[in-house]
Amino acid sequence: MRTSADCVIIGGGVVGTAIAYYLAKRGMTDCVIVEADYLSSGATGRCGGGIRQQWSTEANTRLAIESVRLFAGLEDELDADIEFLQGGYLVLAYTEEDEEQFKKNVELQRGLGLDVQILSPADINEKVVPELNVEGVRMATYCAQDASANPFLTTQAYADAARRLGVSIELFTPVTKILTERGRVAGVETARGTIRAPLVVNAAGSHSVPIAATAGIDLPITPYRREILVTEPLERFFHPMIISFSFGIYFRQVKHGAVIGGYGDPAEPPGFNETSSLKFLRTMSWKLSHLMPRLNNVKVVRQWAGLYDMTPDAQPILGELDELPGFFQANGFSGHGFMICPKVAVLLAQAITGEEPDLDIERLSARRFTDGRITQDRSVV
Amino acid sequence: MRIREHPILEFERGREVEFDFDGRRLCGHEGETIAAALHASGVRVLRKSIRHGRPRGFFCAIGRCSSCLMTVDGVPNVMTCVTPLRRGMKVETQTGKGTLAAEAKGAGSIAGDGSGSDLGTVPLAIVGAGPAGLSAAVYAGRLGVESVVVDENEVPGGQLIKQTHMFFGSLEHYARVRGVDIGTQLCRELEKCPSKLLTGTTVLGLYTDDPPWKTLSLMKNGVRGELRARTVVLATGASENMLAFENCDLPGVYGAGAVQTLMNVYGVAPGERVLMVGAGNIGLIVGYQLLQAAVDVAAVIDAMDEIGGYHVHAAKIRRMGVPILTSHTILSAGGTDRVERATISRVDSDWQPVEGTERTIDVDTICLAVGLTPNCELASMAGCDDEYVPELGGLVSAHDADLETSVPGVFIAGDASGIEEASTAMLEGRLAGLAAVERLEVEVDREKLLAMKEEAASGLSELRAGPFGDRPRLGKERMLALAASRGGDR
Repeated sequence: MRTSADCVIIGGGVVGTAIAYYLAKRGMTDCVIVEADYLSSGATGRCGGGIRQQWSTEANTRLAIESVRLFAGLEDELDADIEFLQGGYLVLAYTEEDEEQFKKNVELQRGLGLDVQILSPADINEKVVPELNVEGVRMATYCAQDASANPFLTTQAYADAARRLGVSIELFTPVTKILTERGRVAGVETARGTIRAPLVVNAAGSHSVPIAATAGIDLPITPYRREILVTEPLERFFHPMIISFSFGIYFRQVKHGAVIGGYGDPAEPPGFNETSSLKFLRTMSWKLSHLMPRLNNVKVVRQWAGLYDMTPDAQPILGELDELPGFFQANGFSGHGFMICPKVAVLLAQAITGEEPDLDIERLSARRFTDGRITQDRSVV
Repeated sequence: MRIREHPILEFERGREVEFDFDGRRLCGHEGETIAAALHASGVRVLRKSIRHGRPRGFFCAIGRCSSCLMTVDGVPNVMTCVTPLRRGMKVETQTGKGTLAAEAKGAGSIAGDGSGSDLGTVPLAIVGAGPAGLSAAVYAGRLGVESVVVDENEVPGGQLIKQTHMFFGSLEHYARVRGVDIGTQLCRELEKCPSKLLTGTTVLGLYTDDPPWKTLSLMKNGVRGELRARTVVLATGASENMLAFENCDLPGVYGAGAVQTLMNVYGVAPGERVLMVGAGNIGLIVGYQLLQAAVDVAAVIDAMDEIGGYHVHAAKIRRMGVPILTSHTILSAGGTDRVERATISRVDSDWQPVEGTERTIDVDTICLAVGLTPNCELASMAGCDDEYVPELGGLVSAHDADLETSVPGVFIAGDASGIEEASTAMLEGRLAGLAAVERLEVEVDREKLLAMKEEAASGLSELRAGPFGDRPRLGKERMLALAASRGGDR
C-alpha cells in the first residue's frame, strides 16, 4: 500500500470511485481510494439504481439533468456496460397536496428544458403502464428521459477506468483516523497503515460521520435504514421506475428482468441498522401487488437493507470544510447519491483541482447549516 | 429408465398419473417429483438458459441450484426437482425468463397488510428434518420441550432417505444400520415427542428484529404463515459443489446427491453409463449404489494422487471391475443437448492436465462428488456472523462449543455448521437441541440435561478422533478459536 498520495478518497462506492476517476482524468492520478469493505458494499450496492430528473428545486433539477447527460455517455467513456436504460419515471400523485406540488414542479422542470408530461389516470394506462392499478391516483408526471442503471456495474466501471489512469484502490482498509497538521488535513490512518496526503475526500456515506469525528468535526448526518427487495426475473412488462411520495413506494424492472423496489418507513428510528424486517416484506408485498396485480404471486428472492445518510435538508454536503482545509466532503446524499453522482463527482473534482465548478456547489457546502440558507426539496422518497 | 429390481430397495410408487409435457402426454407416479417423472420418461432438458439459450437439466435435485426451473400450470420458475407431480399438470420447457399470468386487481393471496397466517409461538423451532434437525427435536423432546420441525421436502429424513449403505462407527444403535432406516427410526422417535413436523414447508426468512423472538416466515402450497420461536436450530444441510469444465452445464452432469435421489428415492436410473468424478467416500459409495442399480460405471476419477475415501468402499467397486483413476481430472463433456461423452486426462503434481494423456469415454451421465458447501443463508439473514474455514467447507456461521451462533438463541448443526457426515450431524443436532433447551431456562432436570450434553459432546470427539476426522476436527478447533476471539461481540 502507498504511504503517500496527492489525494486519498475514503469510500469505494459510486461517489468515491467517480471522484477518483474525474480527478485522474484531470491529471491528478496519484490518488488512493480506501474502502473499509469491498466496492459497492455500502449504500451504492444496496440502492434501487433509479436516475430521476424530476425535482422540486431548480438547483437539484439542473444537477440531475447534467447527471443524466453524463450517464448517457458513460458506457462509451468508461468502455463498460452499466445497464443504462432511459425507461422513464412515473411519479404518482394521490393527494391534493401532491397534485399542487407536482404542477409547480412541472412548470419549473419544463422551464429548464425537461420534457415532462402530466398524465391523467386513464393516460397512465393508455400511454405508459397498461397494467398499473390507478385506483386512488389523481394524476401523474412522467419524464421519458429519466433513467436507471446498475449501481454495481457503474461503480466497477468508474473504478476500472480510474485504475487504468493510475489510481490505486485499497479494499478491506477501514480508516481509523483523519490526520491533521498545522490546521490542515495531512492524510489518513488506516487499519493497514498510514497514507499521507494534502487532500482527503470523505465519501463514506453514513460512515462519514464517525470518520470526520476523529478530526473533531461534527457532520449533521443521521443514518436511517431503508429496506428493499428483489423478485425472480420475468420477461419485461413495464419500463419506467414507478414512484409515489404519498403512497410510499418505488419500483422498477431491471435489465435482467427482476422487479426491485422498496419504500421508506417514516417510523424508522435512526441508527446503523442494516437488518431485514418481516414488516417491510409484508408491507412491500402488499403495495406491489396492489399497484401491479400481476405481481400477486411473484417470488421474492431476496430482501436487504441499506442506510440513507440524511441531512436536515435532504441534500448532500459537498466541498472543502472551513475548519479543516484540504478535507473535502461528498456525503449526506440522503438516498439520491447514485442518481446525481456523475455531475457531483465532476464538480468535486473541479473544486479539488482548483478549477471553477461549472455549477454552483457553494449552496451545498457545510456552511449552509450554520448560516441558515437551507432550502428543502419535497421530492424525496 | 425405471429401476424394476434392486437388491436392497423396494420402491413404493404412488398411483400412475398422466401429465402434459410440451403437448405430449406422459405418465409418472404420484409422490415423485416432476423432474424425476420427466427423467423416467427420458426427458433431460428442462429449460433453456436465459442468456445463451443453452439446454439445462437439474443438477442438485434438492431444491438448491435453480437449474431445473420450468413453467408448471402457467407459473414460471417452478423448482421441478422438489415439486411433487400431480395428475393433469401442464409442464413446459421454460425458454425465457417467464411471464406471470395477468390477474385482476385485488385478487390473489396477499392480505390487506401483507401478513401471513399466525402459526403461534413455540419454544424451539428447527429448520431441516435431516439427521441433525430430527435429533435436535428428539433430544429436546426427551426433556419435555416442545418444538416445530420445518422441512421443504414432502418426506422427512433429509439426505438419509437416499443412503442405502450401512453406517460404520461406534455409535450405540446406528452402526450397521442403513441410512434410510436411520431416518425412519428418528421419525418414529419424533412421534413420541411433543414435536410437530411441517413437511412440504419452505422457510422463506428468519427475522431476529423482535428479541427474544425469532420469526420464521413459512410457505406451504403458496400460503404464507408466521411462526415465532424463542430458540432456533438451523439444520439446513449443504449444497453440492459444481466443478468448472467445458460444457459442465449439459444435462446429464449431476451432483452425487442428485443421482442418489433419483435412483434410491424414486427408483429412476440416472443413465446407462456414468463417469464418477471424486473418489472420496461419497463418490465411492454412490459408485457402488449405481452398480447395485445395474448402471454401468465407466470409471471413478480423482485429481488427488490417492483415494480419499475408505478403502473398503474402494475395494468393493474395484472388485466389480470399475477402475479408480487417481491423478485424473475431467476436461470436458461432449454432446448436443445431453451428455454423450467425457474427456479426461492425467494431472501432474501441480494439478495441471498432462498433454497427450487425454482420452474420451462414452458416458451419458457425469456424476460430480467433489464436496459440499454449508447452507448458511438463513443464518446470515438472521444476522449471524460468519467465518471462512476451508476445513469446514468455506463460509460457516461462527459458533461456540454449544453450536450457538453470534445471535443468542440461534444454533447451527450438521453440515450447515461444517461439512462432516450423518453420524456427526446427529450428535451435533442432539447437542444443539439440548443447548437450546438450556438457553430457554425452562424447568428441566438440569443434571440430566448436562449429562446428555456431555454424552453428545464426547461422542463427537470420539468420531472426530478417527483417521478421517482430522480435517473437521481442525476446522472445528479453528472455529472455536475464532468465535472466542470475537466473543466480545455478544
